[in-house]
Amino acid sequence: MTGNNTRAARAGGLLTNPFSKLGRTTVLAIIFVLQITLTSLLVPGYFSVWGLLDASRAFVEVGFISLAMTLIIITGGIDLSVGALLALVSVTIGFSYQAGLPLGAACALGVLVGVAGGTLNGLITTYFRLHPLVVTLGTFALFRGIAFAVSDADAVSSFPRWFSFFGQYKFGGMVPAQLVLLGICAVIFWLLLAKTPFGRYVYALGHNPTASRFSGVATEKVTVAVYAIMGLMVGLAGLIHTSRIFSARGNAGFGLELVAIAIVVMGGARILGGSGTIWGTVVGLLILSYLQDGLSFAGVRGDIGLTIIGFALILGVFLNENIQKIR
Amino acid sequence: MPDVSSPSSRRLLCALRNVSKHFGNIQACQDIDLELYSGEVVAVVGENGAGKSTVSKCLYGLYSPSRGHVEVNGKPVAFRNASDGEKAGIVMIPQELDLFPELSVVENIWMGLERPRYWHGAFNSSAMERRARQLLHQLGLIVDVTTPAKLLSAANGKLVEVARALNANAQVIIMDEPTASLTEREVSNLFSVVRALKRSNVAVLYITHRLEEVFEVCDRTVVLRDGKMISDRPADQETEAGLVKKMVGRPVEQLFVRHFHEIGDVVLEVEGLHSGSTFQDVSFQLHKGEILGISGLIGAGRSEIVETLFGLRDRTAGTIRLHGEVANISCVREAFDHGIGMVPEERRTLGLILPFSVKNNVTFSSLLRFTRGIFIDTAAEDKFAEKAAREVTIVGAGLDDPVSALSGGNQQKVVVAKALARNPRILILDEPTRGVDIGAKSEIYRIIDGLAKQGHAVLMVSSELNEILAMCDRTLVMREGRLVSSFDRKDFSPDEIGSAAAGVAVNPSVA
Repeated sequence: MTGNNTRAARAGGLLTNPFSKLGRTTVLAIIFVLQITLTSLLVPGYFSVWGLLDASRAFVEVGFISLAMTLIIITGGIDLSVGALLALVSVTIGFSYQAGLPLGAACALGVLVGVAGGTLNGLITTYFRLHPLVVTLGTFALFRGIAFAVSDADAVSSFPRWFSFFGQYKFGGMVPAQLVLLGICAVIFWLLLAKTPFGRYVYALGHNPTASRFSGVATEKVTVAVYAIMGLMVGLAGLIHTSRIFSARGNAGFGLELVAIAIVVMGGARILGGSGTIWGTVVGLLILSYLQDGLSFAGVRGDIGLTIIGFALILGVFLNENIQKIR
Repeated sequence: MPDVSSPSSRRLLCALRNVSKHFGNIQACQDIDLELYSGEVVAVVGENGAGKSTVSKCLYGLYSPSRGHVEVNGKPVAFRNASDGEKAGIVMIPQELDLFPELSVVENIWMGLERPRYWHGAFNSSAMERRARQLLHQLGLIVDVTTPAKLLSAANGKLVEVARALNANAQVIIMDEPTASLTEREVSNLFSVVRALKRSNVAVLYITHRLEEVFEVCDRTVVLRDGKMISDRPADQETEAGLVKKMVGRPVEQLFVRHFHEIGDVVLEVEGLHSGSTFQDVSFQLHKGEILGISGLIGAGRSEIVETLFGLRDRTAGTIRLHGEVANISCVREAFDHGIGMVPEERRTLGLILPFSVKNNVTFSSLLRFTRGIFIDTAAEDKFAEKAAREVTIVGAGLDDPVSALSGGNQQKVVVAKALARNPRILILDEPTRGVDIGAKSEIYRIIDGLAKQGHAVLMVSSELNEILAMCDRTLVMREGRLVSSFDRKDFSPDEIGSAAAGVAVNPSVA
């Protein structure tokens, strides 16, 4: 008779759920277009392709992290340590270069530290069966602490010219290199999540880890993998961040976890796991980032940005939970 | 035979008048007219999805009817929730235990009810305990009422729920599949409780899948099908076959399907298997083409054994041999590689990813068979799922609908199809027909029989003795983590298997 209830609930959902015909991502994409149009109309001089592309440099780093955060949140997990890990990556690059390592090797080492940090989160979570919220809150403090200790409140800014490529080069003088990389990563993540067995396991894990295990899914491996992928993305983001601001310091990436989670939730992933899409996250990223960009262009004070993130996070959770309930 | 109360003492307690309930455009029940009189036990039977739960939920107030109304003592009432229903004397006892496990028996018996107090306002716990003891005594249960509910057996937990209902001054008690998790002995004890309730003029609405129980304790039978009331007649004018026919809407010639044939060589040999304190020293052999039952009470360690064979649980000692070779199975994937498949005990929590589509559930264990490069080959997946769904006759929803939209029986067929998708040579079935309606049951038996005929080896854990008796070539009996005996088909006897499982000699006249 539960079958009856569910069928009934679905039928009811079709009547009352405004997103059901279009799909959440499409609705969000329409909102994004409206938002850009509205900002362009209200703020003279805002709209230009060059300007919009240039503004993307500010959010590409959180974009990489949001892609991986989508996977983690779909499995029912969370990663609060990403901002701190980004600082650790940045400090690793800067200070190992300062200590005499060739810059190329320093960059590789930085990305490796990212992967190691993410893997550590995954391993602690699975092998000690601890909730990732607590684990990554712990590593959040741990990574940030190490980053501060290593940098000793100092910064490294004496990079060679070529290092600016990752964060400052623009193809054709227009398209930032890191935006292209983000686009490629988004496609790869989409394929991974929507088209491969691994992606199917990620969703299943968020819905029912026990049934997944009974179905032969190596649940521990999948969990460690999503956190390790996050580590890789934080590594890339850290590299780009260091190159963009041309400086490595321990306070980099402050509050990044909050922004990434808000973006993913805004994009339609339920915080309890099981649902979410890459394109939802991409549109969530665009909406939140250009909202902040538009406001700062209009001269609204910078601290309003944090307020918006907080508001978006709560709104996103509210929408996800209530649409879910109707369904 | 149940004693039928004389018409003069019958008092109309409550009734559903022309009640319909729909969700969106789904009609869950339609034009139900049902009267409940004091001191009678009314059986409500029907397949999964027939509307039994909806009807009872309308009666005790969880749902408010879309049309029609509920009547109590001749007056129409409009319950807003289940506690309104309880205040009017209509109490529900759900299928799964609904006790607070950490709280004491006495706390559970008073849960949600007005408690006796001292003059200064604090709860009078000694009065509460006295009342609890008295109620339980009435039901024939003598326990320390301060023990936490989690320490009670399923059967005693059921009695505590009945005691709570009586404590709420229930006039009408709705029991949803009360015997689903009870052993035969406990069932007969529950029946005497039901008869005692009857004598004290309580009406019992008895929802069940087990038709033999209908004739054992019920006075009247109500059959539901597709949300409609098909019949409402005294139980002594009904037959089991007649009820089945009305429930299914077509005659079911035969519930169990089994063709016996020569069994082959040993495929699985278990020797001295231990797993901590859950089971010890288990040894048995399983042959090609054989259906081997594992009988016993709940908690005897049966599921734990099959979970160990399936790589979900560590063994602390013993060997597993497959086709004569020692196999080390430490995870599900290794069990798969050795050709072992399993249909787990709980389909909703262990067997299925409920929000996934029927198709994605069918292929979930065998996804790597349907890949092209690193990607899922959806065309191959579709084709396979279609074929599998046809073979196990999944009906009620499309392949792309969520599996949660299916009835219990069809969900179970999805779990079976999923296990079969890996072509296992050894299939473990843990309670394969629990909570499954008759039509689907018979189809699942047909599938199991077909597998044995094709030479698969089947290991079937079941609490339903009838199922073991009808389907198995041989059965093992477990008690308290040990294999206590084994019966060949020619020696099958319900009494002996039952007493081996319970660990006592059962007097046949009681059983």
